[in-house]
Amino acid sequence: MQDIENEIRNLVAEIIEKDPSEIKPDSRFVEDLGVDSMMALEILAGIEKKYKIAIPEEKLAEFKTLSSIVDIAKTYLSKNA
Amino acid sequence: MLNYEEIIKMLPQRYPFLMIDRVLELEPGKKVVAVKNVSFNEEYFTGHFPGQPIMPGVLIIEAMAQASIVLFYGENPSAKKRMNYYLGSVKVRFIHPVLPGDQLKIIVEPIKIISGAAIVKAQAFVEEKEVAGGEISFIAKEV
Repeated sequence: MQDIENEIRNLVAEIIEKDPSEIKPDSRFVEDLGVDSMMALEILAGIEKKYKIAIPEEKLAEFKTLSSIVDIAKTYLSKNA
Repeated sequence: MLNYEEIIKMLPQRYPFLMIDRVLELEPGKKVVAVKNVSFNEEYFTGHFPGQPIMPGVLIIEAMAQASIVLFYGENPSAKKRMNYYLGSVKVRFIHPVLPGDQLKIIVEPIKIISGAAIVKAQAFVEEKEVAGGEISFIAKEV
């Protein structure tokens, strides 16, 4: 499960053009990392593609930190399993 | 097939910034094939570049973006309100120059569409040869 966190960290880092080391599990996306709504959607689409899952658009509002995204991804991964 | 009159119902852009002339195929939310005729009369050829006219890549992106609006419009009932669209990010590679007389065929397919935004895969062809391709994302805001 640590792997998922690292994979998603790298995916987020590439989209928001930051070094993965800057993205701590509880760094706030908007306030600390400058993530905007378009980037959030790209992150969502990136995760859907990577893990072949579907995440409903309402969940975008919960894309607040790396750890919140990892939790959401895990939830939908387990639903698929 | 959609002609000019139907296209302008979907797009907020107007002269001189309508970058698609016709929609050949429209599968709402799935695929759009659109055409932009590139005439030597286009004003930008005077300066881009003098003596060597080449369609600016940014305008190919604009054509892709407008085809994407048609795709988005078909998928989103909310888009029937008066909306403006703003690009969020563009990752496009230009493969061959587009010249006066070419007919650009643009194919766009969704990567992710939600109610207020979309990410799409876009490709532009001239006679079956891909001239540009990539990914663009945009948001839609009610005016």
